[in-house]
Amino acid sequence: MTTGIGNPVKRKEDRRFTTGRGRYTDDVRNDNQAYAAFVRSPHAHARVKSIDTKAALAMEGVIDVLNGKQLTGDGIGNLICGWAISSKDGSPMNMGAWSALATEKVRYVGDAVAVVIAETQALARIAAEAVEVDYETLPVAASLTAAMAKGAPQIHDNAPGNLIYDWGLGDEAAADAGLKAAKHVTTLDLTNNRLSPNPMEPRSAVASYDAAEEHYTLYTTSQNPHVARLVLSAFYNVAPEHKLRVIAPDVGGGFGSKIYIYPEEITCLWASMKTNRSVKWTSDRSEAFLTDMHGRDHVTTAQMGFDENGKITGFKVDTIANLGAYMSLFSSSVPTYLYAPLMSGQYDIQNIYCNVRAVYTNTVPVDAYRGAGRPEAAYLVERMMETAARELNMDPAELRRRNFVQSFPHQTPVLMAYDAGDFPKLLDMAQKSADVAGFPARKAEAAKRGKLRGLGYSTFIEACGLAPSKAAGSLGAGVGLWESAEVRVNPVGSIEVLTGSHSHGQGHETTFAQIVAERFDIPVENVSIVHGDTDKVQFGMGTYGSRSAPVGMSAVVKAMDKVEAKVKKIAAHALEASEDDLVIEGGAVKVKGTDKQMLWHEVGLAAYTAHNLPDGMEPGLKETAFFDPVNFSFPSGAFICEVEVDPDTGVTEIVQFVAADDFGTIINPMIVEGQVHGGVAQGIGQAMMEQVVYDDNGQLLTGSYMDYTMPRAADLPFYKVSHQVTPSPNNPLGVKGCGEAGAIGAPPAVINAITDAIGNNHLNMPATAHAVWQAIRAGKSAMAAE
Amino acid sequence: MTKVSMNVNGKKVSRDVPDETLLSDFLREKLRLTGTHVGCDTSQCGACVVHVNGKAVKSCTTLAVSLEGAEVTTIEGLANGKELHPMQVAFNDNHGLQCGFCTPGMIMTSVDMVARYKAEGRKLTSDLIRQELEGNICRCTGYHNIVKSIEDASAKM
Amino acid sequence: MELTGEYRIAAPRQQVWEALNDAEVLQACIPGCQELEKTSDTEMLAKVTLKIGPVKATFGGEVELVNIDAPKSYTIQGEGKGGIAGFAKGSADVVLAEDGDDTILTYNASAEVGGKLAQLGNRLIQSTARKLAAAFFDNFHERLNQSTPEDA
Repeated sequence: MTTGIGNPVKRKEDRRFTTGRGRYTDDVRNDNQAYAAFVRSPHAHARVKSIDTKAALAMEGVIDVLNGKQLTGDGIGNLICGWAISSKDGSPMNMGAWSALATEKVRYVGDAVAVVIAETQALARIAAEAVEVDYETLPVAASLTAAMAKGAPQIHDNAPGNLIYDWGLGDEAAADAGLKAAKHVTTLDLTNNRLSPNPMEPRSAVASYDAAEEHYTLYTTSQNPHVARLVLSAFYNVAPEHKLRVIAPDVGGGFGSKIYIYPEEITCLWASMKTNRSVKWTSDRSEAFLTDMHGRDHVTTAQMGFDENGKITGFKVDTIANLGAYMSLFSSSVPTYLYAPLMSGQYDIQNIYCNVRAVYTNTVPVDAYRGAGRPEAAYLVERMMETAARELNMDPAELRRRNFVQSFPHQTPVLMAYDAGDFPKLLDMAQKSADVAGFPARKAEAAKRGKLRGLGYSTFIEACGLAPSKAAGSLGAGVGLWESAEVRVNPVGSIEVLTGSHSHGQGHETTFAQIVAERFDIPVENVSIVHGDTDKVQFGMGTYGSRSAPVGMSAVVKAMDKVEAKVKKIAAHALEASEDDLVIEGGAVKVKGTDKQMLWHEVGLAAYTAHNLPDGMEPGLKETAFFDPVNFSFPSGAFICEVEVDPDTGVTEIVQFVAADDFGTIINPMIVEGQVHGGVAQGIGQAMMEQVVYDDNGQLLTGSYMDYTMPRAADLPFYKVSHQVTPSPNNPLGVKGCGEAGAIGAPPAVINAITDAIGNNHLNMPATAHAVWQAIRAGKSAMAAE
Repeated sequence: MTKVSMNVNGKKVSRDVPDETLLSDFLREKLRLTGTHVGCDTSQCGACVVHVNGKAVKSCTTLAVSLEGAEVTTIEGLANGKELHPMQVAFNDNHGLQCGFCTPGMIMTSVDMVARYKAEGRKLTSDLIRQELEGNICRCTGYHNIVKSIEDASAKM
Repeated sequence: MELTGEYRIAAPRQQVWEALNDAEVLQACIPGCQELEKTSDTEMLAKVTLKIGPVKATFGGEVELVNIDAPKSYTIQGEGKGGIAGFAKGSADVVLAEDGDDTILTYNASAEVGGKLAQLGNRLIQSTARKLAAAFFDNFHERLNQSTPEDA
């Protein structure tokens, strides 16, 4: 068996992608195709006084120009945030109204006010230019500082001071006491830079309305088509659920940004009904920068106390999170329940308190981006550990070792019960791989060449496999977070797996097939994976939060359990054997110790011919299962980054990047390593290159690939990836999830390495050459002052 | 409107198009060759790379009417029938793609890169590959396996 | 973004002041200005074509003269909409000081852009705005210096 669990099976989906035969949303073209272009606000905050569509409507080929009053007049509901967070005083979060097309006020540059439907895309865009919108501009709060200032412009009437919630987790008194009892307290102020997710495929939607059936079909770039259908029908009233089919075909990357339901999909669906045409909208990159949800954007102050042995006595965190102009679908949960519960890191910390204030600004909404809350937590905790080690004059690895959680399960004071891991061993592995022992010699050698060499650690934990539905519900989630699967064995023995998980680069068509091939010992080619179409697949929750393996695959395993039970009943009956004596191997169901067997396809055929089934058994061989995890899974990692800095220019090169991860059981090491590579690259991007910038007027200054730095091949190193396996006890495969680890663990490792090299701990992300050069200069003048 | 004729993937095609039609639109909308992707609007990402007269060009910044009589190869025309080009095989062998969106442009760029170095008798190192990929952005792979794929194919081409 | 400049103009202050209030002179001096129509003593409608980086657009908008202290100073301000390209706003405080037979013109201008102009052209806006301001006052300076001898 070379295709089962643990084998680097080459991806089945690659053939269509390498030959140009992938089918992405923008590749779909219907017979009566029309095209949409949005009229967007150039102002960050303004009242819409009037919209004059006459000139646009008069253009030949323009089908219609629609606005927000018509949209709300047709009963289309406001966009919502699906996770209710309450402030410390018990008051609910202040969610401001968000219409897919703004009616009274625009709140960020790019906010849509009208849509043009025309015969061609070019025409739609030209006509959108001809729509005259009269704005009355209002004062703008484009930054956290501006939004929280006294007398700041009020972005939503129901959020005084632009505060969405003031929330806390943990025991504040205990954290204070822990800090008070400490021998040393490390204080850190840091920002987590705002990022644009930038999947390479821009968002797109193709909506069609069938008047005869009163039925809608939406092709869209979504990570979770069922959730999209649910929200589109239940909250936005676009169509009843059974009258709406959502298809997410090949999707060119998501990284979180394609979880949400955006104004454009809603508008295209509605416009397809209004115009009785199929309506297509495809974002260009400029539009993507303006309107795709951003990620991160925190400002944090924190204190961590240590006793005389370097043991942590308390940890107190105060974070302000920028959520942008509106509350996106999961935005409220990202800086709260996906952030604060990770404050214990890999460490045994008894006293933790985390306070989070979420704030509106006149910028595009901020929501989950690869890691979502957990990178922000890991960055804080791991910068804190490295900073403390420097202040305590201790080896940063040793300080971590003194505080590692040693036994499992481990209950933290911030909700989480860690399932499994071996943090000391993982760090050993990383240190060996990075040849930490040889670092002083490498540093000395670099110094001879005039270069500053530095080494930085990040030993982090994440909570993946979102999520136990009951726990999520008790914390305010509007949905359950289980996953579904259906396993169909066809009469010829081939197998279709229908999963609610969605693949947009993760390789599910291969890995999901591997677990089936392993279980029934059949060729992986005989298994096909069906996903991404609400008409084909039963309700499922989609892919985000590294959940497809721990939750999605677990549902497949549960369905396979049921298939196996039935297969054995059918075979036992036919072979006149006891079910207990049957094994499934070599493409057959065999009676142990005999030569009696039924070939796999014979079982399938028997199930459907139903000529010789046990009495009372239903024909067919198809089983369904829902898996609701009992806990999160907790992948852990030990990353070590080594850099060389040119002190004259600040130019920094990553000379080595080691990622040692514990993802539990690994289904396909090739794909897992690919996930680590991509995650680390995005983490390095955050640490050294990427930053969304708005000016004081709320104008986006990083609106193209000429201004927003995407990591390119020459910016990145080869990565040294290794694994340790401590299986998760909470799901049948023992998997933990691997999609986000790189993006979570890399930023602190990089910044810890650069600050180690330059001898100045004050350095914010992104550590561009200019920022590093300034930090070197500041460090020198600080030293001179002492 | 201007009538333009070219050879695309070995087939002669002729279409009347507005003068401002970009080659990427011509391929995607007129010929329905949707393997050529458009990932940005500033000629930075390289998802749209095709070969014109044997050289890699960004089809998003090439006017269709400027290619009268040209030989154009897109990702759909790279394989020899069922037999994949060594670069396509190498991307599969080395897990050089994830979501697949940048892949057509990556592969077309890479084929041109390897051919150019071979023609010039220069050795293509991993550092040079990284530099040569300056005009192609991938958000999924972190480039590690793309560089490996190109090194692998380079040995086989 | 603040821009400043100073010019010595070989003309008496009153003449410079009149020119600064003459729509025809302004239209000739504003770079890319296609139309400038006076709607009152202090208000004008303008159409200006600008190219900033990759974005070229025609802006339609209003120009207004405020803080008038004839013949010493005024503020000229304008706001233009360039459709999907975005908008541009600018103002300049212009001060005229007598220096013998000459006039010293100083200006302090600020500019703000939004929409696609800001998104794609931002890196170029400072230099473009400086260039535009300089071009206006250069044109103005040149025009007056040319016309002065004729008048004399």
